[in-house]
Amino acid sequence: MTPASLCDEPMTTTAAHLSLPPVTADPGSLRAAWRIFWRGGLMSYGMLFNWARPSIYFPTLIGGPTFQLLFFAALGSYAAGRSPAYFALGNAVQVSALAGIFGMTMAIANERWFSTLPAILATPANRIALFAGRFLPFIANGLFVSLYAIAFGVIFLGVRFEASTLGVAGLALLVTVFSCTAIGALQGAISLRLRDGLFGANLLMLTFLLFCGVNIPVASLPAWMQVISNLLPFTHGLEAVRQAAAGAGLHRVGGLIATEAAIGVAYSVGAFALFSYLERSARANATLDVR
Amino acid sequence: MSAGRTLRLIGYVTWFNVRMLLVSEFFVLLTFISPLIFATLAFFLFRLGHGGSGQTLLYAALGSGMMGVWSTTLFGCGGAIAWQRWEGTLELLVNAPTRYDFILAGQTFGAVIFGFYGIVTTIVWGMVLFGMPLQATFPLVLPLSLFAAVISLGALGMLIATLFVLYRHANALGNLLEYPIWLVAGLLVPLTRLPDWIQPVSWVLAPTWGMEAIRGATLGDAPPWLAIGMCVVLAGAYYVLARVVLVYVLDKARRDASLALR
Repeated sequence: MTPASLCDEPMTTTAAHLSLPPVTADPGSLRAAWRIFWRGGLMSYGMLFNWARPSIYFPTLIGGPTFQLLFFAALGSYAAGRSPAYFALGNAVQVSALAGIFGMTMAIANERWFSTLPAILATPANRIALFAGRFLPFIANGLFVSLYAIAFGVIFLGVRFEASTLGVAGLALLVTVFSCTAIGALQGAISLRLRDGLFGANLLMLTFLLFCGVNIPVASLPAWMQVISNLLPFTHGLEAVRQAAAGAGLHRVGGLIATEAAIGVAYSVGAFALFSYLERSARANATLDVR
Repeated sequence: MSAGRTLRLIGYVTWFNVRMLLVSEFFVLLTFISPLIFATLAFFLFRLGHGGSGQTLLYAALGSGMMGVWSTTLFGCGGAIAWQRWEGTLELLVNAPTRYDFILAGQTFGAVIFGFYGIVTTIVWGMVLFGMPLQATFPLVLPLSLFAAVISLGALGMLIATLFVLYRHANALGNLLEYPIWLVAGLLVPLTRLPDWIQPVSWVLAPTWGMEAIRGATLGDAPPWLAIGMCVVLAGAYYVLARVVLVYVLDKARRDASLALR
């Protein structure tokens, strides 16, 4: 094939595309924003989340959490003398961070790696819809991973839920997964400027294990660590899940759930603000594709 | 190729790989930061349960350090051949006049030795923050234990490198195999606490005997000769297996012209 024929073919195709009626959707309309939120979110999950294929998904998001539960249940019951169920439940909630943190980091930072960021930022698409649309698939994914791990804990490690407050535990879990995904979005926005975005994601995962009451009760930690615990996702949400599992109703854990939700909203707003700032800064300095 | 030149080659590649890993944020996290977090977690857990005596803290520090060694071995060796593919150096190395398994050995030893820095960091962390005593009941045996652990883990790393190359997503296997080996090798939880059927699995794993050799020299009542011997035996077995798999994989790749492909 000669270079000339290489050029001819796309020109014909382009001409065919040009003959299509122009898109009349108003980018500022609610319908366009909904489409960007829903379709864009699903597309970003499928294309930017590197783990969304069975050969990676199962070892990483099913196999890994399974062994994490077994490891901490064994370690905790041996070292601290507590029931394996305590550690199993904590880790079952925490493993949702695999989807929330790594997923959101990939969904945002991979735009740069795959060179789609300039194209996205060149569109007049509603930024809030664009950004919020990324959340939904990862919240669903985080919930799925966590529910799988909880089921594993129930079957093999003695995790028990009070039937009357199962809904409250579910609500607490949902809010916890949301706030975790929110800090993942912040990490994703930060990683737009970093050489290795997954460094921060890995560090967050380890931080949750130590600070958020996943394995060590927050009250047992030194005071300065408790301050950090209270600023992180999981701490309040996980406590709410634990209490609801033991039978506490919404009137008792509502405050914890509300605090967790507020933390999630704060991280979401912070992530969006940072993303907007980086967009403006990249436009002003012509550094969209430069690190 | 003379034995001297072979050792020089392995030593050079080892040093080169250590320097490469030092500039990787991921491996710095894996080797230096992750063991500190796991050690802190273990210290708190042991304090909750056992009161946190000096010996318990040293037990936890060594176990957490070895967890870092295993992670570095797993990810550093598991992706070794895949990275050479991505960087386009695999064809050059395979077709070089030197044997490729010597180059791979250097790479895997580099990852393992880099991982062992983590043990030192963890011990210093425990001493400074948790008042952990530094002691060794058999200080003269300790260097031998460390050497035995390095060669057995290095040989296991070679086997991992050659096996993982058959799987398209080596890092996903790394994510899968981190926690189970920490558990099955008894790095923080004694093997006696695990079901009986797990013990034969732990006997064929280098981290089990490497940990046993190091703990035996620091905390044991008798020198860990059995563990040191098992490290050497396993290293030999892993190397032979790795060589067989490597010859098969490279031969197949040459026949199918798929060396640079997956």
